[in-house]
Parts: sequence; C-alpha cells; structure tokens
Amino acid sequence: MLLCALLLPNAVFATLLDVEKNELKLGFIKLTDCAPLVIAKEKGFFSDEGLQVEVVAQPNWKTLLDNVISGNLDGAHMLSGQPIAATIGFGTKAHIITAFTLDLNGNAITVSNSIWEQMQENDFDLDTDTPPHPITADALKPVVDEKLARGEKLQMAVVFPVSTHNYELRYWLAAAGIHPGMYTRSDISGRTHAEVELSVTPPPMMPATLEAGNIQGYCVGEPWNQQAVAKGIGVPVTTNYDIWKNNPEKVLGVSKRWADQHPNTHIAMIKALMRACKWLDETDADGQLVNREQAARILSRPDYVGADYDVIKNSMTGYFFFQKSDKRHMPDFNVFFKYHCTYPWYSDGVWFLTQMRRWGQITEPKSAEWYDQTVRDIYRPDIYLAAAKLLLEEGHIDVDDVPWDSDGYKEPTTDFIDGLRYDGRDPIGYLNSHTLGNKDL
Amino acid sequence: MSIKYKILKGIDLAGLNFLRPVILLCYREEPEEQVRQIALHILVPILAFTLFLFLWSILAPLHKTRSGEVPTPAVVWDSAKQVWQFHTRQSEQLEAYEATGAQREQMLQQARERLAEIQPLEAEARRQLKQADATMAEYLETEVQPLQAEYESLRYQFRDQQNARKAELEKLAATLTPEDRSARDTFLKQYHAHELQIESEKETLRALKSKQDAVRAKVFPERIEALRAQSAIAEEKQFLLKLVDTLENNKAQKLAEEQAQYETQLEAFYTADGEKLPQLAKSLLFTEARIQNTATSSYAKPMTLPDQVLRSIACVFAGFVIASVIAIPIGIVCGLSRVVMSALTPFIALFKPVSPIVWLPILFIIVGGFIPDPDQHWLISALAKAPLIGWMKINPAFIASALTVAMCSLWPTLVNTAFGVASIDRDHLNVARVLRLGFWSRLFKIVIPSALPLTFAGLRISLGVGWMVLIAAELLSSSEGVGKFVWDMFNNGSSQTFAQMFVVVFVVGIIGFMLDRIMIIFQRLVSFDENAPSL
Repeated sequence: MLLCALLLPNAVFATLLDVEKNELKLGFIKLTDCAPLVIAKEKGFFSDEGLQVEVVAQPNWKTLLDNVISGNLDGAHMLSGQPIAATIGFGTKAHIITAFTLDLNGNAITVSNSIWEQMQENDFDLDTDTPPHPITADALKPVVDEKLARGEKLQMAVVFPVSTHNYELRYWLAAAGIHPGMYTRSDISGRTHAEVELSVTPPPMMPATLEAGNIQGYCVGEPWNQQAVAKGIGVPVTTNYDIWKNNPEKVLGVSKRWADQHPNTHIAMIKALMRACKWLDETDADGQLVNREQAARILSRPDYVGADYDVIKNSMTGYFFFQKSDKRHMPDFNVFFKYHCTYPWYSDGVWFLTQMRRWGQITEPKSAEWYDQTVRDIYRPDIYLAAAKLLLEEGHIDVDDVPWDSDGYKEPTTDFIDGLRYDGRDPIGYLNSHTLGNKDL
Repeated sequence: MSIKYKILKGIDLAGLNFLRPVILLCYREEPEEQVRQIALHILVPILAFTLFLFLWSILAPLHKTRSGEVPTPAVVWDSAKQVWQFHTRQSEQLEAYEATGAQREQMLQQARERLAEIQPLEAEARRQLKQADATMAEYLETEVQPLQAEYESLRYQFRDQQNARKAELEKLAATLTPEDRSARDTFLKQYHAHELQIESEKETLRALKSKQDAVRAKVFPERIEALRAQSAIAEEKQFLLKLVDTLENNKAQKLAEEQAQYETQLEAFYTADGEKLPQLAKSLLFTEARIQNTATSSYAKPMTLPDQVLRSIACVFAGFVIASVIAIPIGIVCGLSRVVMSALTPFIALFKPVSPIVWLPILFIIVGGFIPDPDQHWLISALAKAPLIGWMKINPAFIASALTVAMCSLWPTLVNTAFGVASIDRDHLNVARVLRLGFWSRLFKIVIPSALPLTFAGLRISLGVGWMVLIAAELLSSSEGVGKFVWDMFNNGSSQTFAQMFVVVFVVGIIGFMLDRIMIIFQRLVSFDENAPSL
C-alpha cells in the first residue's frame, strides 16, 4: 500500500479494498443519531470506498431487524441492545454482530405537563424556569405512590423492549425506589411487580400519545423530546447522559452471515462511517462543533430525519432545551467520535447483558464467563481495528483516535445517576449492587 | 361524422359521458340543450369543488392542534410543489453522476453560477432571521420577564408564609391537652383554613403561570417566514454543493483517475525490479477490480414520490393479476357446481373480511421462507435484470405486498364470477344442449361470455380494494411505494407533515380514479349492457 502512495505522492485516496458488493441498502429509523449513515452518504465517504449506498427509512425497530435478518437490508442503524438480544434469543433470534458504535447519549425522558406540575409541587426547587439538573425520579415517586393508592399505574413508553431507552428509564426509576416491573418466562411485557407500566411505542407516536393522555411519560431519542418542547406537549426532565455519562446508544448491526460473506465490504463500510463520525465531532479552536449545523440541515431532508431544521438543530449543536425557558449547554448530548466511542467495547455490551438479567429478560443466572463469551460473539473489535488501520495509513484519522491496545474493557466507572460502580469484568458484582431487580448471589 | 362518433364512443367506453355535450356543441347540435347539459354535469361539479376549496380555506385555520394548524389548500399545493422539487433534485443528482464531457462541464458551470447567485440571498435571509429573533427576544424581555419575576417572588413569599403558618400551628398543637376538646375543634378549623390557603395560593400561582404561558405562546409570523425563507435557500445551497461534489467526483471522473492510476502502475510493473513484482501485481489487479467496480456502479438515488407511485401501481397490478388468475377459475367452478360452491363458502366467509394488516406479516414471513437470501435468489436477480421493471428493485417486501393485495382483492371477483356463471340464462344452456356442445366449447362460448359482465364488475371492485389495501401493506412492509411515503412523512414530524398527508390524499384519489376508469373501459368493452354504471 505504501508503494501506491509513493507512486502518487500527492494523492490521498482510499486504500483499495476489493469489495464483494458495491450496491448496499442500509436501514435506519428517523432519529438524529442516524447521522453517521446519512453523513457518510452525503459527504461522499461511502463513495470514496467504492460503495453506492441507499439509506432507507424503516417503519419500526422490529421490521428493521427482520429486514437485516432476511437480507433485504445489508445492515442497519440499530439499538445497542438489538444485536445482543437477537443473538441470545430474546425476541427474534438471529446471529447479529456489530463492529461499530454509532454514537453516545442522545436520549431523554419526557413527562407530560401535568406530571411535571406534580413533580414541581413535590420538589420546591423544580418549580422554576431553570431548575437544577440532573433531575432524579425522587419527585416522581410521590406521584407514582398516589396513583397506586388510587388503584392506577403511571403509564410510560419506550421504543423497544431491548432498547437503551428501556434500560435507562428503568434505571432512572429504580434509582428512586420505583419498581419498573420484571420480565419473566411468561411475562414478556415486563410488568410483573411493576409500580409504573412501561409499554412500547414507536418514536414518532410518542408526543401524540403523550398529548392524548394514553401515556404520561416516555424515553426516546431526538427529535422527539425537542418536539414535545416546541409544541408545548411535555417537559424533558432528564437526558440519558445524566443517567449514565457517555452511554452507548446505537450501533451498526449486520447479520453474521452477511459479515462472513462480505468481509471487505464490511470494513469499507466501517471506514466510511468512522470518517463520518469524525466529521460530525470536529471542533474549532474554541471547542465549538463546526459541522453540526450543516449536519442538521442535511438531516432535515424529508427522506432522512425530516423534522424541521430548527428542531433538529436544538439538540445537535451542543445545547438541549429542557423547557423553552431552560436551554442548557450540553456539548456531549450527541457524541459521535470523542472518547473512542465508535470502538465496539465489550464492557458496553456486558452492561446491556447485566440489565437484561436484572429485569428478567435473561431468565436464568449466568456466570461471568458466559457474559464475556457472549459479548465476544457479538462485538467485533477485530473488524473495527482492521478498518482503523487502513484509515490511519491513508491519513484520515490520527493514532490517538483509536484504542489500539485495549482488551475491550473500559476502566470501571461510577458515572451513573445512583453513583454505583460498574466494572465490565465483574458483571455479577454489579448486578448484585442494585436494590431492585434480579440478583445472582 | 365518423370522427365524431368515434370520439363519442371512446367517451362512452371510458365512462366520461359528462364530456359528451362538449363534443356535440362543437358540432353545433342542439346548442341550447348542450349548454344546459354542460352547466349541469360540468359547471355544477366545478362550482361545488370550488366551494369546497373555499370553505376549506376558511375553516382550516380556525382549528388549531399542537401539531400545527390544519393546512389550507394553498399550503397543501405548496407542499406538493416541494415534493416534486425533491424529486427533480434527486433526478438531477442521478444525471450528474452519469454525466460526461460537455454536459458535465455545463452542469458544473450552471451549479456554480447559481451558488454565486444565492450567496447574497442567503446573507439577506440570515439578516432577516436575526432581526426577527431580536424582535422576539425583546418581546420576551419586556413581556415575559416581569411575569416571571412576579411568579418567582410570589412563590417564595407563599412558601415563607406557609412555613410560618405551619410553625404557628405546630406551636399551638404542642399546647393543646386531651381534656380541651373545643380547643382541638378550633385547631382542626385552623388547620383546614391553612390547607385551603395553600390550595388558594397554588391556584394563584397556576393562574400566573397560565398567563405567562399564554404570553410566551405568542406567534411571530415574521420569524416563521424568515425561517422558511432561510430554509429554502439553505436547502438549495445544500443541493447545489452536493451536485458540484457529485459532478467533480462522478463516474466519468473516477474512471479517468483510476485508468490513469492503472497506466502508471502498469508502467511500474513493466519497468520495476523482479522482487517488487508480486506487490505491484497485487496493486495492478486491485486497480483493475476497482475500475470494474466503478464502471458498474450506479448512483444510489432515493425513491421519490413519482417513483413510489409507479412502483405502487406495478405492485397493485401484480397483486390484481395474481388475484384474478386465482379467483376467476375458482369462481367459474363454483358457479357450475353447487357442491363446490357449498364447499368453498366457509373459506370465502372466513377470509373475505380479513384486514391486510393481518395478512401482511403472515405473507412477509412465508415469502421470507421461500427467498432466504434475496441477493442470491434467481427470481430476484431475474426481475432486477428485466427491462422496464428492473429499476423497481423488486424484493420480498414487494412480493409480500402484492400477495397481500391478492388475498384481499380476490373475493369480489370470485363471488361475482360465481354469481355470473350461476345466473346464466337457462335458454342459453338449453341451446348449448340442443347443439350438443362439448364441455370446453360450452365453457368458452356460452358460460364465460355470459358471466363476463359480472366478472368485470367484480374485477373493478377488486382493483379498488387492492389499491386501498396496498397503501396499508406498503406502510407495514416498508416496501417502496406510496404507503411508505405516507409513513415516512408521518415519521418526519415536521411542520410540513400535515400538508404532505393531504398531498397523498389527492395523489391516491386521482390514481384510484384512473385505475377505475381503466376498469370501466374493459368492462364496457366486454359488456353487452348499454346501461352499465359508470360511477
């Protein structure tokens, strides 16, 4: 490869990969964190790799997964939990892998105006135009208790049973002593012992369903929290960044069969996505995100996210509106490249497995070895590093952009709203440290 | 005169008889009567539709939802133009990718000139938006801020007063003895008064907050217009920048670069030392593969509404044909044999009412079983290479949608055909018997011709049902089509969403009307009944 560079010393071109397939279809859901796929197409990064990629909106997460499994899609923007759940057999079973994390954070929990008023009455400090953050569910607990006393349950929605949103909403509720319900072998809705009932609703239906009163809160990605603010339907009370700092949100999911049949295409795809993520997180000397406004403009196209530009812009340009009067500087609300976030960390995958076990989606106790082996079947840093190596040679990334020597596990962290310590190498210990949910003593 | 009758015949066949008086008037036959007919069948409907549009314009803005105002006809029309603009822009990107030579140069120049033109427009739009933002900010400063300050002040005041009263009550409670019942009664009244006071204060705060919300909810039309103008210009700029990028890196350019690289590598291969040959050979072969890849590449243009319309029409016809092939023979057999009719009645009764929303997931799974790997399936590959329909990229989702259409639309055709056959005039059958016609002769000369009017009536209903069913099927399967357009635009949640739904109302309605006219033509061609219905 170096010889090619010598032959054309002034050229910077993509290293040749003999891709097995040059016309691809990638699926996505209309949420702002599909940005890497869209930018890779619109800024020509896919094209540089010799790929002509159609980025096609899917109606819901299940259809998206089914289309990847059936081969109608070559890959997709997926919830982090989807490859894991599919591979271990919760819900639709199929061997799905990921070698690339698309972004961190990007979700929020929104409650209806009436619930917010009740929370404000329960906590004097919340009753202001600019309440202090993060907001825990402590002010929500009396609301839940009052409803239970009347024989009712608070209704909240998440986008999918194995979504980051489900685990994060449950985490937020449980940290305040509110039981979000257990999944069991016979209860696949996860409502056993529930003090708050969680249902599945597609993201675009969230604001309308909240307004109609069918649910009183939801956890979803953007632009559906900013939409609630813009339309006066509800109030985002917290973001998932506050629940778990820099948590992995979406991944690129492909079926293992597809990956085995198209190894070079897979690497080329990841190269393009990595460049897109780096472009998205590019900052100027002042630390301002220089490309996000252009990204928001592109995403507002009707075949991509399609929401109004100013609604998309609100959460993508380093700010977040909790209320129209409460605009916060949140540069890490959407992270696409910083903190080595695109690397497929084993410790991220293990966290999802611990939450699946905690809430009963995994019905039987598992050993620490099982967690490690399972996550290795799904998360593929070897493919990621192959792509990164090529990009480094081409000069598109710096050596510091990739954790070359990592064993796949991050250092332990206490960056959770409840302050608990998570060590990916000790999933059982972490699981047992929770007050609510399954324990494997 | 023969031209006149041919025109009238065509109009009659197409069920467009309201045009008849226009033709006759052109030939100056009974002018007063024709004018009267024109007034009745053309002007009155036009006036009614105009009145509808007028009422729609008047009433729509009166109803406000949190998702925005109900769009007026003008807004819907503007939205339709934007949908079309999106289509033309994507088509231009596709053209740019394939452009070569002088055409490419011309497109590049035009794009660059337009970019230069809109630069001052963009600056002006930004200035106007900044001004509108300043106006809004000033309003918030002068109107909202004082209410906010009042709210905060009152909030703290009420809290302090509540705490003070609470402390007093607690202090009083400590002094009460069990023997003094009347004092305790007094305490109860005082505590109740305290609770009522708290509620009253909450009510005051709520009222103030409502007032604040109402003031904050003021709409600034200048800002909305400024945002719209800025978006329009920014979107055009975005499109042009992408167009320039496409033109500068299109297929022809890439091939030229890769070809030059290949020549360089080939020269190096022929002149290099022996030990370098393996590496150089590898590079050469890679470049060769790259050239092949580029030469066969095509721009990944997203499906736009016109494409989706055509694909939907193809899908509904595919489903319709499948349904007809199944329904007509079975209908004939049912009509000929009461035993078969009786045997099939439970199936008809059970399956006829089933919604496409139930059929689609079932058929999607079944089709998936037959086509486990679409990339390598002979049928998918064959369809992709077929002329005229290859661009539609027929896939399992399309097939599942077509089969869903078939399952929902075959019943009217089946039932009508069966009824048509069963209703054959006994005299016709007696004639067949007298002439000793064989089974097949009887079938094709007597039975089928006699049943055709009712069969086509059924087919007409089936196509209408199929078109309705298809929209729902595509929505669920994410098969590219009008249904997917609906779901995608709904999922956008943009300020345009509402208007785009109305665009689809008219698109689907117009296409449905056209499909119905086609069936009317076929029905009239095979029917001997001059009074067949045309609505």
